[in-house]
Amino acid sequence: MTMEADSRAKKPNPKPKRIPGPNSTNPKKKSEFEYCKVCNRNHNEGQRHKYFSSHTKSLSNFLSRFQNKITDIRFFLKKPSVLRPEHASRNRFWCVFCDVDVDELGSSFVCNNAINHLAGVDHFKKLKHFMWKYGSAMDRVDAFRISEAVVAKWEKNCKSLKSEATSVGEGSQELHLGHPNDIHNELNFENMNNFEKNTIHHLNSNISNGVMPLQYHTNECQISGSGFPGVANSGTNLYVVTSSLPADMCSTMSSWNSNYAMVNQNSPWNRTNCSGNVYLSGGMYQVYQDERVQSREINSQGLQNIAQVSSMVPKEAGGNVHSGAPLPWHGSIAQKEGGGNVHSGAPPPWLEATEGDRLELIPVLNSFVSSNKSGKSKLNPKRVGAAWAEKRKIEMEMEKRGEIVKRDCDPNWLPNFGRVWQSGSRKESRKEFEIEKQKQPNIQCQSEMSVTVQPYISKRMVSRIQTLSPEVLIFPG
Amino acid sequence: MSYLLETLTKKMEIDTIIRDTIDKVLVLRFGRSSDSLSLQLDDILAKSARELSKFGTVALVDIDSEDVQVYVNYFDITLIPSTLFFFNAHHIKMDSGTADHTKWVGAFHRKQDFIDVVEAIFRGAMKGKLIVNCPLPPERIPKYQLLYKDV
Repeated sequence: MTMEADSRAKKPNPKPKRIPGPNSTNPKKKSEFEYCKVCNRNHNEGQRHKYFSSHTKSLSNFLSRFQNKITDIRFFLKKPSVLRPEHASRNRFWCVFCDVDVDELGSSFVCNNAINHLAGVDHFKKLKHFMWKYGSAMDRVDAFRISEAVVAKWEKNCKSLKSEATSVGEGSQELHLGHPNDIHNELNFENMNNFEKNTIHHLNSNISNGVMPLQYHTNECQISGSGFPGVANSGTNLYVVTSSLPADMCSTMSSWNSNYAMVNQNSPWNRTNCSGNVYLSGGMYQVYQDERVQSREINSQGLQNIAQVSSMVPKEAGGNVHSGAPLPWHGSIAQKEGGGNVHSGAPPPWLEATEGDRLELIPVLNSFVSSNKSGKSKLNPKRVGAAWAEKRKIEMEMEKRGEIVKRDCDPNWLPNFGRVWQSGSRKESRKEFEIEKQKQPNIQCQSEMSVTVQPYISKRMVSRIQTLSPEVLIFPG
Repeated sequence: MSYLLETLTKKMEIDTIIRDTIDKVLVLRFGRSSDSLSLQLDDILAKSARELSKFGTVALVDIDSEDVQVYVNYFDITLIPSTLFFFNAHHIKMDSGTADHTKWVGAFHRKQDFIDVVEAIFRGAMKGKLIVNCPLPPERIPKYQLLYKDV
């Protein structure tokens, strides 16, 4: 009995698992797990990992991304410009080879520290080590560092820049390249700093005043309503001047000023935010003087804002055609953290995507609904019968509009159906069926004929005739 | 129960409903309103039709009408009630462990079973599959035997 049991237990396994024994020629050596920075995963493939195709792909991606960042830095290498201390916190640079964060605090020129880092000996060493470790070609090393000659040139340029700056304008830091800011802007920054220290209670009841005092401080040249040329990128600041307000303004107006000054000081500032600012101040807006064309539309928007908002203020503010902010205008604006948006209540970034579609101010719900609908239109193009569906939709629309008269379907149309007992494609089975269909009436005719000719039909004959057509047995449940 | 769902008696009607149901699963039940099992199935279909309305439509076909016999032959309907599934005018097969993958034979044990089946069909069809696996466990799938031409 036990023998049998054993033999049953040791049934020959059709797919024996390959267990690496001590003498097996298993090429896979187990090595310690290590982390590949490029592929962002741990692996125990050891030295072989860097030759795998997935790794080489990730490596080329990785390096090209870093290369982009370095080209940005090289731009500033050729054109040194002065770094404003306020912007310094933004220009951080992570060197992937050294695993170190290079920031720009205390540097007087843009990317100063980054350039010095890339030129450094340490960086070069680590770069070479990285290339070796991750299997990149060594000739690419020079792409990721800055040679000393170039750095020396750059330093010379910087020095000359500095000396020029100090000689030309005293007290105003004019830049030759990159940021042609004006003295007014400079003043603005000062104002801004002061305002920031004030507490801002702009959200309070003043908004719900029915009467909008006219704060329109005009320079007529500004109201030309020229188009807003899009985002102010790379180096152009929106130039804000707070209008001189009439003396009887309530104290909150100063806080409004501060909002705008603060908001618009940050460059680049895109249209939605500006217009959001303008709108959500409850119609109290300020005129933006700008030597460039950028903010002119804001002015014209602002004008229209007042006209509309004042009529809308008593009830819930629904739509404002010209500002892009889709947020409803409540007495208390929801605060958001973030550079400059906190107090102005400009539309949140996730709604900015829908802003381009409609210029109307509609409640948040509407925008949510419309964005849902646009998602639905992207049905999977690989779904079954997608082509048919598209065609049919178009046909149905045209029928609705009355362009095509509803044509009767071909009475012989059949959906594509793979029959039960068949092999081959559905088209073939359909053809088979059609052939059978054609045969059927012939057979049926014949059987009827035979019935009439021979008045007596034996049971055998009947059953044989019936078997000629495909069996249709109907069973209850 | 069948007054809650459309009953189709002509080939034209079946054709139009197959062609006009776009991006939704079309459930066609072939059966008789006098048959008890068909009525059981109809009951479940009617109750869940509304829940499926966003991604499915249900219709009943009476196999006793002559116009429809073409379809009865084409789809090889031998046992009733039989349910077929279409998506965008394409027939979708479902492997439920039975002999016939082209249709569902019999009633469903629960409303939820039916909804699960339609959902499986919808998901498969949206991914581009013409045959899907049945999500139900075997004990809830009605068993039957198919006869092949006198065999």
